[in-house]
Amino acid sequence: MQLVLSWPIRILVLGLLLFSLFVDGAGYIYRITNHYPLTGSVPGLPPNFNGWQLYVHKGLDLAGGTQLELQLSKFPAGRDRATVQQQTIDVITNRVNALGVNEPVVEPAGANHDRILVQLAGVSTTQAYNVIGRTAQLITTRWAPDPSVTGGPYPGYRPEITNLKSDMLTGANASLDSTGTQWVVNLTFNSQGAAAFSQLSTAAYSALSTCTAAQATTCPQNHLTEWLDLSQTDINNWNTDVGQVYRPVAQGGKLLTDPVIQQPITGGQAVISGSFTQQSAKDLATLLNSGSLPVAINVIQSTDVGATLGLTSIQQSLAAGLLGLIIVIVFMIAFYRLPGLLASLALIFYAGVALAVFKIVPVTLTLAGIAGFILSVGMAVDANVLIFERFKEELRAGRTIGAGVEAAVRRAWPAIRDSNTSTLITSVILIFAGSGSVKGFAVTLAIGVLTSLVSSIIVTHNLLAIVLNFGWARSDSLLGVHRGRIA
Amino acid sequence: MEGSPDLTAAALPAQPQSRVRTVDVVGHRNWYFALSLVIILPGMFFMVTRGFLLGIDFAGGTEFFYQFQRPASVSQIQSVLSADGVTGSVQAASKATYIIRTGPMNPGQQQTLENDLEARLGPINQSTKQINEVGPSIASETVTGALYAIISASILILLYLAFRFRKVQGGWRSGFQFGGSALLALLHDVFVLTGVFSILGEGLGLRVGQIDSLFLTAVLTVVGFSVHDTIVVFDRVRENLILSQRLTFEQVVNLSIMQTAARSIITSFTVVLVLLALILFGGETLRGFILALLIGIISGTYSSIFNASQLLVVWRKLQPVR
Repeated sequence: MQLVLSWPIRILVLGLLLFSLFVDGAGYIYRITNHYPLTGSVPGLPPNFNGWQLYVHKGLDLAGGTQLELQLSKFPAGRDRATVQQQTIDVITNRVNALGVNEPVVEPAGANHDRILVQLAGVSTTQAYNVIGRTAQLITTRWAPDPSVTGGPYPGYRPEITNLKSDMLTGANASLDSTGTQWVVNLTFNSQGAAAFSQLSTAAYSALSTCTAAQATTCPQNHLTEWLDLSQTDINNWNTDVGQVYRPVAQGGKLLTDPVIQQPITGGQAVISGSFTQQSAKDLATLLNSGSLPVAINVIQSTDVGATLGLTSIQQSLAAGLLGLIIVIVFMIAFYRLPGLLASLALIFYAGVALAVFKIVPVTLTLAGIAGFILSVGMAVDANVLIFERFKEELRAGRTIGAGVEAAVRRAWPAIRDSNTSTLITSVILIFAGSGSVKGFAVTLAIGVLTSLVSSIIVTHNLLAIVLNFGWARSDSLLGVHRGRIA
Repeated sequence: MEGSPDLTAAALPAQPQSRVRTVDVVGHRNWYFALSLVIILPGMFFMVTRGFLLGIDFAGGTEFFYQFQRPASVSQIQSVLSADGVTGSVQAASKATYIIRTGPMNPGQQQTLENDLEARLGPINQSTKQINEVGPSIASETVTGALYAIISASILILLYLAFRFRKVQGGWRSGFQFGGSALLALLHDVFVLTGVFSILGEGLGLRVGQIDSLFLTAVLTVVGFSVHDTIVVFDRVRENLILSQRLTFEQVVNLSIMQTAARSIITSFTVVLVLLALILFGGETLRGFILALLIGIISGTYSSIFNASQLLVVWRKLQPVR
C-alpha cells in the first residue's frame, strides 16, 4: 500500500483530475476563451479538439428519435450475404443522408448478416421508414389511347409502363442546364437501356406526325414520361388517383418529368428538367443512384421517442442523480465525520472522472445507462464504508491512527477486490450478451466500478493520509470513534 | 485488550471483540432459512402456475405512449382500436397520457392507428409520444439471451470465488463450498425477486410487475450486489480462520457476520436511499426497474447476513474438510 501513497501515483491522480475537469468543462472553456455567453447555442459547439468531439452522446431515448431494426429477406441467390448486407446498408445510408439527420447510425446486425440497425435522431418512425423503405424505381411510360379515361392531363389516354427499367440506369447526377439557370438531373443508361430509350423516343417522335398541328404541344403520344415509383395500381386507378399521382415528386406526387420528344434520343442520355432547386435535384440524383434495395426489408423492432419526452427524462435523472449524491454525502459525513467528508470529496472526483470517460470513449448515454451510473455511486461508497468500518475497528483495538489507516486499507482490500471483480464479471457478460438498454447499463456500470476503485482506494486513502498529518484532525470526535470506552 | 476475559478477543489480538454485540445468527439458522422459504415458496408457486406478466420486449408487440391535447378516455381510445380492427389494451397514465398495447404493428399500421386516433380524439402531442415495437423473433432472442447471461454470470462468479477461496484450509473443495454457498444465496435473491414480480404482475395484475429487459438488468445488478455482500462476510471468515485457530468453524462464521453486519447494512441503506431518490424523481418507465432493485438489494443484504454463511456451515457439516 506504500505505492498508493507515493508521489508518482499522487501526480498521476491529480493529472487525471485536471484532465477530467478539462473534458467535463470543455464546452465552457471554449465559451470563455472565445468570449461567448455561457448559455444558449454558440457556433463551434460541441468543441472539436483535433477531431475530439467532447460532449455527452445521448441515446435516442434521451435525444428523441427513431430506432429501427430491419430484417433482410429474399437474398439474391448465389451472392455473398455479407456483401448484400453491406450493399443494403449503403443504399439505406444514402437515403437516410437525404434526411439531414445528425450522426445517423446504419450498422450491420444479426448473426447471419440478415439484420440492419438504424438510429436516427429527431425523426419519427414513419418518416424514417418512408425514406428507408422507398423502392426508388425510375419508371418510364408512354401514353396509350384509352377511351375510358375521362380526366387527367390527357383525357382519352392512360400511361403504359415501358421496357425501359430502373436497373438499366447506370448513373444520375445533378447539374445546371446549358443556360446555367435551371437545375436538371442527367440520366445515363447502359447499352440495353440506350437501345430501349432510342426505340421509345423514335416512336414518340414519329407520333408527332399522327397528331394534328393544333394538337402539337399536347399530343400525348409525343410524350415520354418519367416517374418515381409509379405502380401498376396507380395506372389501374388512373381516373380516381390521377390528381395525386400526376404531380411533381416534390409536391407528394410521383411525376418526374413529362416532356415532348422533339428528336430521337440515341446516346443513352436523358435529362429530367422541372422546377428543381439545387437540393432537390441532388436528392433525386442520390435516390436514383442508390437504386433499389437488393433484398426485401421488414421492420422487426422499432422505437419512436418524442423530443420533449427525452428532455424530461434527462431532467428527471439529473435531479435523481444529484439528490442521490447529496443523500450519500450527508449520510457519509453524519456517519464517519472527517473520513466521510473526505470520501465525499473522492465521490465528487469520481463523478467528474466518470463523466469525462463517458465523453471520451464515447459512451452513448441512455436512460438505463444513467441508472447504471447513479447506481455505481452507491457502489463507489461501499469500498469507503468497508475501509472506514475497518478503521474504527483497528482504532478500537488499540492501533495508532496512522497504523489504523494502513491496516484498514490493507485488510479491506481483498473484500473490495473480490466484490468489484464479481460486479465487473456481470457487467462484461451483459455488455456482450445484453441488447440495447441492458448493454448501455452494463457499460456505465463497468466504467463506474473501475473509476470508483480509483477514487475510493487511492483518492480517499491519500486525502486521509494528508489530512491526518494535522494535529486537529486526529481527534476522536472528528474521526467518529469512541476509543475511550475500550481502554 | 490483554486482560480481556473474552475468549474470542484473546484469540484475536488485533480484533476489537469487546464492542461487537454477539447474537447467535448461525445457531438459529433454521429460522432464517424458514423465513426465506416463506417468501420464496409462494413466489415459486405463482411462477410455476401463473408465470409472468411479460413486457413487450419479451412478449413481442407494440406499445404507444400518447398524450392527447384534448381530454380523451380509455373507452374512446378502445373504440378507435376496435374500429380499426386492432386488439389491444389501453391504460391511463399521468398527464393525459395513455398507454396502448397491441400486437406487433409495422410503421405503416402504426401511422394509420395514430391518424385515426387524431381524427377521432384530436391532436396527439408529437414531442411527448413514444412508440416501441418488438417483433416476436426479437422477443424470443431476448429471453434466450437473458437466460444465457444469468447462467454464465453465475458460473463465472462461482469459479472466481472458488479460485479466491482455494487457499482456505481444504483447498479447492473448500473454495467451491464458499463459492457454492455464495451462489445459493444469489439464487435466493433471484427467486425472491422473480417470485415477488410474478405475484405483482400475474397475481395482482400490476404493470409495475412486468418482466422486461430492464427487469433482467435489475436481476443482474442484484446478483452483483448480493455477491458483494456475501464476499465481504466470506472474506472475514477467511481472515478469521487464520487468526483464530481455537474457535469452531461455527463460532468463526458467527463472529465474522457480527463484524461485517454494520458495513452490509450501511452500504445497503445508502443504496436504498439512492434508489428512493430515483423512484421519487425518475420517470414512470424506470419505476418497475427501481422497485426490482429495492426488493433485490434488501433481499441480498438479508441473504448475506442470514443465509450465505449459514449455508456454508451446513455444507461443511455435510461434507467435512479434513
